[in-house]
Amino acid sequence: MDFINENLLTILILLPVFGALFTLGHAIYWKHERDLKWLTLIFTVINFLVSLFLLGSQTASSSGFFFEKNIPWIKAINTNYHVGVDGLSLWLVLLTTFIMPIAVVSTWNAVEKRHTAFYVFLLLLESAMIGVFVSLDLLVFYLFFEASLVPMFFLIGVWGGENRIYSAVKFFIFTALGSLLMLVAIIALYYLYATAMQGAGTFDYVLLAAAMKAGKLPIAAQTASILFWAFALAFSIKVPLFPFHTWLPDAHTDAPTAGSVILAAVLLKMGTYGLMRFNFVFFPDASRDYAFIFITLAIIGIIYGALVAMVQPDIKRLVAYSSVAHMGFVILGMFSFTEYGMQGALYQMLNHGISTGALFLLVGFLYERRHTRQITDFGGISNVMPIYATIFVITTMSSIGLPFLNGFVGEFLIMIGMWNSTVLGISGGTNWNYVATMIAGTGVIFAAVYMLWMVQRVFFGKVTNPKNKGLKDLSWRELGLIAPLLFLMVYMGVYPKPFLERSRAAVVAIQERVMGQAGGTVEKSVTAPKAKN
Amino acid sequence: MNTLLLQTISNPDVNIRAILPETIVAVTGIIVMLYDSFVPKQRNVTTAISLIGLAISAFFLISMWTGTPQVSWNGMITNDNLRMSFSIVALLTTAATILISAVWIERENVPAGEYHALLMFATFGMMFMASGSDLVIMFLGLETLSIATYVMAGLRKSDLKSNESAMKYFILGSFASAFLLYGMALIYGATGSTNIAGIAAKIGDPNFPALLLIGGAMLIIGFGFKVAMVPFHVWTPDVYEGAPTPVTAFMAVGSKAAAFASFLRVFVLGFPVGVAGSSLAADYLHESWITALAVMAMLTMIVGNVAAIVQNNVKRMLAYSSIAHAGYALVGFIGAGVAKTPEARDAAIAAVAFYMLTYAITNLGAFAIVTLLGQKNDRRTEFEDYNGIGFKSPVLAFTLSLFMLSLFGLPLTAGFMGKVLVFRPALEAANPLLTIVVIVAVLGSAISAYYYLRLVVVMFFRERTTDWLAPKIPATVAAVLIITVIGVLYFGLFSNDVIDKFSKTTAPAQAVQIK
Repeated sequence: MDFINENLLTILILLPVFGALFTLGHAIYWKHERDLKWLTLIFTVINFLVSLFLLGSQTASSSGFFFEKNIPWIKAINTNYHVGVDGLSLWLVLLTTFIMPIAVVSTWNAVEKRHTAFYVFLLLLESAMIGVFVSLDLLVFYLFFEASLVPMFFLIGVWGGENRIYSAVKFFIFTALGSLLMLVAIIALYYLYATAMQGAGTFDYVLLAAAMKAGKLPIAAQTASILFWAFALAFSIKVPLFPFHTWLPDAHTDAPTAGSVILAAVLLKMGTYGLMRFNFVFFPDASRDYAFIFITLAIIGIIYGALVAMVQPDIKRLVAYSSVAHMGFVILGMFSFTEYGMQGALYQMLNHGISTGALFLLVGFLYERRHTRQITDFGGISNVMPIYATIFVITTMSSIGLPFLNGFVGEFLIMIGMWNSTVLGISGGTNWNYVATMIAGTGVIFAAVYMLWMVQRVFFGKVTNPKNKGLKDLSWRELGLIAPLLFLMVYMGVYPKPFLERSRAAVVAIQERVMGQAGGTVEKSVTAPKAKN
Repeated sequence: MNTLLLQTISNPDVNIRAILPETIVAVTGIIVMLYDSFVPKQRNVTTAISLIGLAISAFFLISMWTGTPQVSWNGMITNDNLRMSFSIVALLTTAATILISAVWIERENVPAGEYHALLMFATFGMMFMASGSDLVIMFLGLETLSIATYVMAGLRKSDLKSNESAMKYFILGSFASAFLLYGMALIYGATGSTNIAGIAAKIGDPNFPALLLIGGAMLIIGFGFKVAMVPFHVWTPDVYEGAPTPVTAFMAVGSKAAAFASFLRVFVLGFPVGVAGSSLAADYLHESWITALAVMAMLTMIVGNVAAIVQNNVKRMLAYSSIAHAGYALVGFIGAGVAKTPEARDAAIAAVAFYMLTYAITNLGAFAIVTLLGQKNDRRTEFEDYNGIGFKSPVLAFTLSLFMLSLFGLPLTAGFMGKVLVFRPALEAANPLLTIVVIVAVLGSAISAYYYLRLVVVMFFRERTTDWLAPKIPATVAAVLIITVIGVLYFGLFSNDVIDKFSKTTAPAQAVQIK
């Protein structure tokens, strides 16, 4: 037990790598491609079970991180293998390990070629994603951030849809461009630290953050804003924030179902996580100064994503554009710099992972049966697949944000946070926070419009297309796959307290860091906010 | 040597031990040549002799690696980390080239003995370029290397492209050598010394400051040609495409690394800034070469990366990528030039050496696969020839993908560590021009993703329409691939020891010993 607790994060990162090697060895030696999915499933499930240890009680180290591990790696550039979790990353790690077995089972019969490589890439991807969320050394973080690109690139490129090559390359280049600029900023921080401390530089997040907080690492305002943008660009592309979103619909549409699920559930969160973890903590002033840009782009993203989603003829593309809108909400909540808003943003990240992940799964089920995703090819599906239709509608509701389902809690908190925010301020007699909240609020309505309209066209009415008559309803495997997601949608909608409680300390720390002591919007007396009053 | 008289008539400071590694390589070359003339057409034997020679040389080289700079031969040979690290790269490159060539020699039926002998002499030249701390020795090394490579580029005598390649390389190369030599002469005129330490000592007070500047400019042209720096790069794509693939690998990696060794020594150690009692000339020279190289580094990265995008031939793509990589290495070079302390300077030089090592390993692996997949006369080097081979020959295709990702600079591979290390000194200077250079380098890397991925894309994502038989991997190529793959991952993950070895010195400043 002690061993597991001490090396928990390392085990979580290395277990999938080991699984990948094992799978590869198995495939080469036994040549039974049938076994591979079982092996992969076993490894991902074990990893999920191990990750549950994260919920066990542990005392945080002095830096506020749990399960910390700090081992020197490359002394010449003073970089360490430093990992740890806090309330911010905890749920994202769990989301990753939770969604992976589901992604694996979702491909049970869908992978038609090159099984070995497919499962190896899935496992490597898991390891890279966990690495992103737990690294506390900037260089190690960058390393995992980039490393997560390659498996996804292959997943889209080899097992993807029609335009897979274009989508895969676009995905890779968009993300790589952003992150390379971040690398420059990371190295620059290293030297700023070295100069300020009159000694060796560091890539260590904890040291950098502490030095900045204590005012020992003064960064000129101009430099700080350049560095802020270098980080922010990398993360905004990943989120993706309007106008960097163009890679997302392509990548989603052409990715295989497992790829879409992981992309939506986890990969996009790296962007929002990065903004919160690095931009807010390192550059609080710049974060406040430029918040209006992010809020504006987030609102544009919400409205634009919704409007474009409305006219999509392809269900998967529709869900992809809804992702743009949802991630806009997350950005909005984060940049409100209120406890409610930021907690809501974090919560909405999880919700989006679960609801949109589920939607992609459901679309995948339909695609496996009919090999089309065009809305016009369907109609009246609820007559032939009642269980499927029921689940789809519930998931839709969760995505729209119906009370008692998870989406509502996140969106509601974000709205409260934005409404009470002081970051935009009052000018010209208008309180811009109210304006922003109100415009964003219309996004919820738009979301209802495009989702429900799609549901109506696909599921209700008479079966017009004879090909749809013989469709089988969900199998036990598919039901088992979607059930945990449904359970979470309801659970997180009814009882968000355990989630919010765990993340509160970390989020409040970041919020206070950005707003300083004079923030005014911190309501310390409020414990974990409840959704329904 | 305490009296003037003794100093002037003192015997040359002979120290065979200091040049033993070079001597062993040269002797090996002679043995190979002699053996070949008495017992011709013994490919395997000459391969073995060459490899053994290289191994012995490497053994002595490493045994000399004390970390303390030593000067011998009246300041002509310097035994420091710069020499050590670049010599290791040279030996490694040659060994890998010999192994890669085995499959090609068999296919093309080229006279192996001559080829191996030429490779040995080229290596001898490369090693002298790294160890020479005197312009004359450097020039000797450079010419030995160049003449051997001119011949090797044209080894496929019946092939027009190979002939064109050799001819172009020869004419343009001689031209560049002439510039280099003229530059050296002018530097000598200005400082009265051909010794790097002597030049550095006299640079504050040159005889004719103008000569210094013109000489420096000409040296940049000469070295710039060898490292394929824009605008002196135009020979590269044609020569690389036409030359036999293993020779291309050797030129892209070995010649470039060796040229960087001399280039670094002359400019960073020979033309420093802030010499005591310096006139304006030294500072002006320093500022000029930093600015000139910064501009050329940017051009090199832009031209190399942009031109690589439109190539349809893998060898040409790798040629342009090698131009871009010269640009990245220059970033570290300039970083070494502006370093404020000797320690920082040594660290930056070590970074460039490490960069060349990672680049060498990655590129040699890639060229090994390109050679193996190529057919007679080096056909099958177009991108379309790689269509859909990914899952037909997964070992080769995934290995080649790994090399491409390392060239791109993906974390966890050697290429990433190399890039981080060379960008670091340039950012450390906190100089606006250098920061722009680093940003251009980063944008260039982003562009490079496109063409490196393109190879991955055609291999894995496209389907093959024509028949294709996966080639058998011979033991020699397998050896190269295993070493390079391990190298790429090892340097990506655990580069610590190597960087340490490259940069640590026990005695910081180098002893100046001038006649």
